[in-house]
Amino acid sequence: MASLLATVVLLLLPSVFRLDGNTHADWQQFLGRFHPLVVHLPIGLILLLPLLEIAGRFRPALLEAAMFVLSLSVFSCVLALTLGYLLAYGSGEAGASVTRHMWGGIALTIGVGGCALVRGASGGLRGFYPWLLGSVLVLLAWTAHQGGSLTHGDRYLTEYLPQPLKHLTGMGTVQAKTFAFPDSFYAKHLYPVFDANCISCHGERKVKGHLRLDSFDRLMRGGEDGAVVIPGHPERSTLFKRITLPADDKKFMPSEGKPALKPEEIAWIKAWIKQGASPELKTLAGISLPHEDEPLPQVADYSGKMAVIEQAAKAAGVTLVPVSRNLGDGLVLNTVDAGAKFGDAQLVSLEPFAPYIVEAELGRTSVTDASLGTLAKFPHLRAIHLEGTAITGNGLAQLAQLQQLRYLNLSGTQVTAAAVAPLTSFKGHLYLYNTPARPIPAAPDGQSTARKEP
Amino acid sequence: MKQHPLCTDPDHGPTVMDLPIAEGMKAEWAELETRRHFLGRAGKVLGWAALASLAGDKVLTGDAGAANVSVPPAPQSLRLPNFAPKAKRAIYLFMSGGPPQMDLLDYKPNLAQLYDKDIPDSVRGAQALTGMTAGQARFPIAPSHWAFKQYGQSGAWVSDLMPYTGRMVDDLTIIKSTNTDAINHEPAIMLLNTGNMNAGKPCLGSWLSYGLGSMNDNLPTFMVLLSKLNPKENNQPVSSRLWSSGYLSSEYSGVGLRSAGDPVLYLSDPRGVDRDVRRKMLDAVNEINRQTYQELGDPETNSRISQYEMAYRMQASVPELTDMSREPQSTWDLYGPDAKEPGTFAYNCLMARRMAERGVRFTQVYKRGWDVHADVMGMLPILCQETDRPAYALITDLKQRGLLDDTLVIWGGEFGRTVYSQGGLSADNYGRDHHPRCFTTWMAGGGVRPGITYGETDEYSYNVVKDPVPVRDFNATLLHCLGIDHNKLTYKFQGLEQKLTGTTPASVVNGLLA
Repeated sequence: MASLLATVVLLLLPSVFRLDGNTHADWQQFLGRFHPLVVHLPIGLILLLPLLEIAGRFRPALLEAAMFVLSLSVFSCVLALTLGYLLAYGSGEAGASVTRHMWGGIALTIGVGGCALVRGASGGLRGFYPWLLGSVLVLLAWTAHQGGSLTHGDRYLTEYLPQPLKHLTGMGTVQAKTFAFPDSFYAKHLYPVFDANCISCHGERKVKGHLRLDSFDRLMRGGEDGAVVIPGHPERSTLFKRITLPADDKKFMPSEGKPALKPEEIAWIKAWIKQGASPELKTLAGISLPHEDEPLPQVADYSGKMAVIEQAAKAAGVTLVPVSRNLGDGLVLNTVDAGAKFGDAQLVSLEPFAPYIVEAELGRTSVTDASLGTLAKFPHLRAIHLEGTAITGNGLAQLAQLQQLRYLNLSGTQVTAAAVAPLTSFKGHLYLYNTPARPIPAAPDGQSTARKEP
Repeated sequence: MKQHPLCTDPDHGPTVMDLPIAEGMKAEWAELETRRHFLGRAGKVLGWAALASLAGDKVLTGDAGAANVSVPPAPQSLRLPNFAPKAKRAIYLFMSGGPPQMDLLDYKPNLAQLYDKDIPDSVRGAQALTGMTAGQARFPIAPSHWAFKQYGQSGAWVSDLMPYTGRMVDDLTIIKSTNTDAINHEPAIMLLNTGNMNAGKPCLGSWLSYGLGSMNDNLPTFMVLLSKLNPKENNQPVSSRLWSSGYLSSEYSGVGLRSAGDPVLYLSDPRGVDRDVRRKMLDAVNEINRQTYQELGDPETNSRISQYEMAYRMQASVPELTDMSREPQSTWDLYGPDAKEPGTFAYNCLMARRMAERGVRFTQVYKRGWDVHADVMGMLPILCQETDRPAYALITDLKQRGLLDDTLVIWGGEFGRTVYSQGGLSADNYGRDHHPRCFTTWMAGGGVRPGITYGETDEYSYNVVKDPVPVRDFNATLLHCLGIDHNKLTYKFQGLEQKLTGTTPASVVNGLLA
């Protein structure tokens, strides 16, 4: 009877003292912080139970010990639960993970209590004991994992999972966040700052002080003390105030000894609030960000063709080197070791891999104008080096169809002004040094080009 | 004695060498055999895990052929570059000794009024000075003797000592706020090159060779050119520690070309030894080395084999590299008459361009003599005459040939110099001591934003007042331009994931990037 009562009390606890995300008394937090310490006691005791039960078949004395350990488990579960509850309630923790961990703990305590009842009972009820204990162990693993995720973060266990396994289990991929205005300053620059520094405590899984920063709407809604962003007034915005307090202030954010935001990040937040805290604005006056490149066009996946590519490159006496570890960045055709042995025929032999090659380094090889037609079939070329070759420029017009071409080096070739005329609309860097089209400039005059006297 | 059932005899069962796996993988495994590994052998499980991580995805995804597409002998596990690089190669013009920033690029017009006044204590703070000036009774301000002019679209101020540099300011990224932790040459030059003041760590060039590998088969990945000494200057020693690979394999060390005589000793085969005989001899030596490697498994034996092979190929490639007879007259017009004389800074700048064309990943040119403790007025014009035009010529030459797009050029010394005079200050001379708190460097080319000046110093060119660039951030930025995340180019040694930028967190200076 007493145990039934205890069960009801435990189940009602969360509705009486709701985890409302508000912080409560300091003494609660003080005691609560012993939860992570004490919690390992029931874990150890519960894990000991099945061992004792099995070993007890051979040494009956251990069966007696099992009952004792079970009683201790019940007691320590209640203690750990109480402290855990004080911790969550006192520090104002809320959120999906906290709730899950709480219910896990409550269910576990009830389960262990049930075990004690069933084990002591006589008759048919006793038969449930192994099943109940088994369920308790599963529940224990799940609850402990939830608790671990709260302290160490979700990715703690899988972060250093060997890459191949990550690949197999699909854990390496992270769901991308979607924004209403993906090009806005908020989405591109501010959200990543919040994500890296704040969302572990002010997000979906853990909500301290009622504040969530994991979406624009929630950010503007604010927390238990109202709005944290007051558009136009950074100095009155709690968000800005809390991140600019002295690092040893109790209210300083990020809390718990996590590193402060970088000065430039604080400057971004200040300017963003000052200029209206808009979710749409793309740039902020007075904030200069490093110039961003247009993302490189990606080539198709060639990972399945590595062996063939390597073979063809070897046959042509060249190497095809990945631009970076991201295979989508493509391959560079490097002919420096082949030199004059590389000619038009070799380039043709690499044509099957044209979709993956983004740069052709053909300087000082023996390619001729015939190769210009071949190169025109390499749609992803961004750079072509033809310096010091026998190219005369006959057929250069074909390169105009290479949409991604940004660099063309014809230095030291025989191209004439007439031959390069079709490239007048070429937007990238065109080099014609030491060619009939642009002969070597006259010797420098030694005069300085000073703009004005100081 | 009866064996415990949980203990398996480590001498039985298959070893890694018996497995049907690639030879290369076995070799890598053999390199892992250390004393610690030997001792830990009973715990074989860990060993298997290590093997699995060496093999990477390829074991599970089945495309083991992927490992060989690229030339680099660089460790595949690093998988560099981390992202598409802006620069494929770099040339570092190292101004050893510490150029005086306020006489060259850090213009301080107000100093003229402060001639011979003492530098305020508030500026100097509690800084410890070198033994050379700590005992001075006074620290009189020595304004630069030379006038400055504004150049180019960017309007950067450049000393009249460097008219050629003035012409190219729109191509340069000038950093006035570089600063270091070391106040003496050896620790400062080590810090800049290796990220650590103590010798024994790999230098920038070795890290690049290790991480990115070679771009060509016939020349070293990392070359060092020492410029000839000028006895009129105050030359500090430069030692091979600066291009050492430290704890990395010695394959990644810099290869120096001599500044006088044959660029590489014994380059040509002796009389009576033709190419075939040389080849046969090398094959025999390599075979013996391979046996030694089988027996002892010391990775340095493999390095030695590859070094012999590189030397053999350099017998053919270096004469072609150093033969400048086919350079057109315009080259000599650009680099100036000094370039004809082997070993001068001008000659080395031209050589650096030729190496860039031939696929050398990293070239470091050392110019010594910037240690102007005294006689600034006598020495600085000589130093600038030797370096100003060649540096301009190199940038101009790379630019006109289309090489500056993907070559990063760096100019700078190991620290700056003091605004106050070391020794006496007179109307016609002054000296300057070492100054770590700020110095001016520049970069140009692939990856950096041209035509800007980054960072500011106070009115005494003493302290950085805006956007400081400590050495570790400087190096992190260089690596970034070459497509490397400095936190990911690591090597496990002495229990640490060692890296060029050291243990203090470093960050890429975004303001410098294009």
